[in-house]
Amino acid sequence: MRACVSVIDDDALVLRSLDRLLQSRGFEVHTYSSAQAFLEQHDASTPGCIVMDLSMPGLSGLELQQALAHSADRRPVVFISGRSSVEASVRAMKAGAVDFLTKPFDEADLVAAVSAALEKDRASREGLAERSAINLRLSTLTPRERDVLSRVVAGKLNKQIAAELGTAEKTVKVHRARMMRKMQFDSLAELVRAWTVTQPLPPAPPQA
Amino acid sequence: MDSHSASSAGASPGLTHAGWQFSPRATWAAPALLVAVGYYLAARIGFAFTLQPYPISTLWPPNALLLAALLLAPTRAWWWLLAAALPAHLLVELQSGVPVVMVLGWYISNCSEALIGAGLVRAFVPWPLRLDSLRNAGIFLFGGALAGPLVSSFLDAALVSLIGWGERGYWDLVGTRIFSNTLAALTVAPLILTLASIEIPRLRAARTVRFAEAAALFAGLAATCLVVFDLPQFSNHTAPALFYAPLPFLVWAALRFGPAGTASAIAVMVVATIFGTVNGLGPFAGSTPQETAREMQLFLSAVAVPMLLLAVVLHDRARVELDAREQRLQLTHLSRVAMLGELSGGIAHELNQPLTAILSNAQAAQHLIANKSADPEILVEILRDIIAADQRAGEVIRRLRTLFKRGETQFQPLDVNELVHEVLGIVHGDLVTRSVEIVPELAATLTRIHGDRVELEQVMLNLVINACDAMAGIAPEQRRLTVRTRKVDVEDGAVQISFSDCGPGFTPDQYAKLFEPFYTTKPRGLGLGLSISRAIIRAHHGRLWGSSTPGKGASFHIVLPAPRGR
Repeated sequence: MRACVSVIDDDALVLRSLDRLLQSRGFEVHTYSSAQAFLEQHDASTPGCIVMDLSMPGLSGLELQQALAHSADRRPVVFISGRSSVEASVRAMKAGAVDFLTKPFDEADLVAAVSAALEKDRASREGLAERSAINLRLSTLTPRERDVLSRVVAGKLNKQIAAELGTAEKTVKVHRARMMRKMQFDSLAELVRAWTVTQPLPPAPPQA
Repeated sequence: MDSHSASSAGASPGLTHAGWQFSPRATWAAPALLVAVGYYLAARIGFAFTLQPYPISTLWPPNALLLAALLLAPTRAWWWLLAAALPAHLLVELQSGVPVVMVLGWYISNCSEALIGAGLVRAFVPWPLRLDSLRNAGIFLFGGALAGPLVSSFLDAALVSLIGWGERGYWDLVGTRIFSNTLAALTVAPLILTLASIEIPRLRAARTVRFAEAAALFAGLAATCLVVFDLPQFSNHTAPALFYAPLPFLVWAALRFGPAGTASAIAVMVVATIFGTVNGLGPFAGSTPQETAREMQLFLSAVAVPMLLLAVVLHDRARVELDAREQRLQLTHLSRVAMLGELSGGIAHELNQPLTAILSNAQAAQHLIANKSADPEILVEILRDIIAADQRAGEVIRRLRTLFKRGETQFQPLDVNELVHEVLGIVHGDLVTRSVEIVPELAATLTRIHGDRVELEQVMLNLVINACDAMAGIAPEQRRLTVRTRKVDVEDGAVQISFSDCGPGFTPDQYAKLFEPFYTTKPRGLGLGLSISRAIIRAHHGRLWGSSTPGKGASFHIVLPAPRGR
């Protein structure tokens, strides 16, 4: 599926000009005249990013950013604003915006910011795919195999694990081999990396 | 005199005064020549106004001219000017066959009159003297027009008796000279003083209508004086009433043409009266020359003094009013600029939007052309949008320039709805940033009201900004400002504009102070907005008031009356 840039601006003239500019640079563009319209119409499954004005009537850019952060849709945001309020830009960047451009901006800056945002989205979507695959494999483990896994990852020896679980070292070895097979890992290193990836996501950034 | 020359030296050199320019190395040739010629002519006029066969001049202007010259000049120039009068004095007096000793004696007494008068005035009013306040005029009248002639007349009569010229008694001489010279000082000196203070550029800027009015005034005055004072009198009974005939013209001059116009009008009347009297015409003719002269001089002095004072007082008051109006204009402008300063962020937003559209459109077109993928139709659309964006930016600038401009109030027919749109356009960026939603409820048709566009927009801007500030503390989605315009049915054609916010409102106690200057509830406010707004609306004969349900919001209402008779 092709990544698309969602442009949101209440000013029709600005919206059209950004649509044309990004299209002429080869991006797939969808335009929305308000944050509300974006929420109602956009397809969360489409990869992409958002380019939007900070202050808009109704739902503002910052409010939309918050709303998206609380939903599953974590597409990156590039803010454009007609006023360079330090406070607003700090809030936007803290909330995870990729960039904050002050109108009027040069296309080079816009294209760079949009490209970075799309790349971030691609990376996060790939990470997400990998994570769900590992989670799927994790779900096939028995409780005992999970106990072993968590202790292996914590760097404990089979002997220690056996002591902790109150079983024989030999049994641990069997569990461990079965677990490695189910997780489709050949090395301990691979296992540790996968474990790190599947740790619960950090909570949504605090809202200032 | 030394103390005064010190004070006049303090009056900065190079100061421009009434057409004379003084520099540290001033040449006194021109003023001195002017005084000499003027003195000579004034003396000739004095001789012409003599009642035959008894040689009593009814008006002796040379001394008054000297007095005026001294008052206009800095003290250090006085001796020069007095010296310049000597040749003119000798020339004119020796022609009449008076002994040289007497001629010189009169020169001394004439100079002393001017010196006493000017010295007394200068002691209280620093140079230059302007007849523009009651105090200055009073000092001039007592010092210059009364004390000078009075004191010098004793000297003059003493010299005459000492030298033994003529056969008239000492007190007779004193009395004659006092009246004659006082009238001259009242007539000639104010005329010269006020004419010298006329500013030529202002005269040039005056409209033709003013000149026409002045011409009508002086023509009417001259005609009336001619009829009253220069025709044979058929009945003495009508005389007292006739004396009042020129008064309306003098009041007219005082009301409309200031001290200079009044002094000129008095001069016209004095000349006409004396001319009639010395020719045996008018209401004063018929008694002995001395009585005739005395009566006429008393009458003219009695008219001249109150008229001059009236003109000065009116002029002074007009000047104070002008100052106050100028200050109000300045204050209004300052608070407007301060308000626009508060809005600068929103205004920048309003300008950046079209600028962004222009830049992005142009860069898109560049790529389309470079990629050879340019569809002419798209290029036409791009250009159309660029033009629209440019016009929008121009409109923002135009609105701002009008508001930043400082100018005289200009009343014109105005559509209130259009003003509301303009104001909302100016604050649009700010409203968006502050998440304030505007709910317009504008009447479909409204009478055009008569007002100053900029000042009314300033009032509305002030009310909108106040409303936004009031709603800063409530949830963004609740920030709603209703702008309503409507016809006021009970007041024929009047228009009401209301701004209602959803802020905390105000208590009756707060409302009592709301329109006071320097009362503010904002951390950075000057507290002038509402008091200036109310002053503006009052100047439009309208009303501005507020109403509030505490906790639910506040409303401010403007009612502007419809223009009458049109």
